[in-house]
Amino acid sequence: AAAGLCPYRALLARRGGALRALCGSVRGLAAGPETHFGFQTVTEAERREKIYHVFENVAKKYDVMNDSMTLGVHRLWKDILLHKMNPSPGTLLLDVAGGTGDIAFRFINYVRSARERQLQQKLKHHQNLSWQEISESYQEDKFKSLGDSQVVVCDINKEMLKVGKEKAQHLGYSEGLSWVLGDAEELPFDDDKFDVYTIAFGIRNVTRIDLALQEAYRVLKPGGRFLCLEFSHVSNPLLSRLYDLYSFQVIPVLGEVIAGDWKSYQYLVESIRRFPPQEELKAMIEDAGFFKVDYQNLNSGIVAIHSGFKL
Amino acid sequence: MLGGGGGRRAVAAVLRRAAAGGRAASGEGQGQDPDPGQGSGSGRPQPLEPSLLRFLVCPLSKRPLRYEEATNELINEELGIAYPIIDGIPNMIPEAARTTRKKPPAEGSKQP
Repeated sequence: AAAGLCPYRALLARRGGALRALCGSVRGLAAGPETHFGFQTVTEAERREKIYHVFENVAKKYDVMNDSMTLGVHRLWKDILLHKMNPSPGTLLLDVAGGTGDIAFRFINYVRSARERQLQQKLKHHQNLSWQEISESYQEDKFKSLGDSQVVVCDINKEMLKVGKEKAQHLGYSEGLSWVLGDAEELPFDDDKFDVYTIAFGIRNVTRIDLALQEAYRVLKPGGRFLCLEFSHVSNPLLSRLYDLYSFQVIPVLGEVIAGDWKSYQYLVESIRRFPPQEELKAMIEDAGFFKVDYQNLNSGIVAIHSGFKL
Repeated sequence: MLGGGGGRRAVAAVLRRAAAGGRAASGEGQGQDPDPGQGSGSGRPQPLEPSLLRFLVCPLSKRPLRYEEATNELINEELGIAYPIIDGIPNMIPEAARTTRKKPPAEGSKQP
């Protein structure tokens, strides 16, 4: 582990006082207790730093890599998350670690269709109205194609948000969408504000998961829902071996070929192995105060959706 | 002399203690360098999405913020810190915040 950390130490040595903090888990309480970065043992401060750099490097290729690594299946996982959420128009969503906007855009599409259906239903009941009255009802709804639904995308990484914002412009998303640079462990949002909190493929990269869960609880309204989509553990032994083979042999190679970054994708597959399995995460979510905590395995546990409610 | 990442973290740590104790940050009011992408070369800064102000609070104290149009920042008066807004995205990471005062509470003047 020490050998692996050397190049990073050299890099960080230029930052003077930071080196002292990083040098000893013995002395380094300033940098925080020991934790993991993939299979390495690092201090909390080092971990945050490294993860920041991982996403800084992969930001521009993030979407392409997701498609390549999962053969496009990640899109289905995210669609399933939205269907589970089943947001109605007027919902306020906080998407944490939402970086490039995949969940946010799906949310907007979903409430937009739901809203259209709502309006069509309304029109059906207006069949005996005059054209004047019907056009007036159109006016009222003119600025509410989303029905007051809103999504705030919060991410700690500037590069990921930048990519997300550009994507939004490119795809024509503007209404009901905002971007905030913030820390999942220390959210810049007021209490009891959001209807739904999502974190898709992000909680694995949070250093203090317990703090992030507490913050999630804090910002949700009573009755609000917590949804977490994340890689999880495969219990089937045969599938598990195939999955390991694919993860460790194929993914880092893809990372090198497509994004020119073997190390970041090595971190990715290692971090998946280090992440708590379904039951353990469920317990952590319950510890944060959520009720009716449950999980749904997708693809035999390669991915799981955890859900909880603030009552 | 505060320098680089270590320095910002130290300031953030001080601010956290202050927020917890309900007191404003003491002494060390050296203005942090603003993000290089902001200000000078970039022309008119992008406005903040107005609806965000409904939700945004200071991540440290969870208290409301004031939007300062002149500097395009979100100000927490009590702790004397300002969060920059870059390309319309508010940067709400405590380490990135600029301290706005040299001396404790009574002073209202900002760093040049």
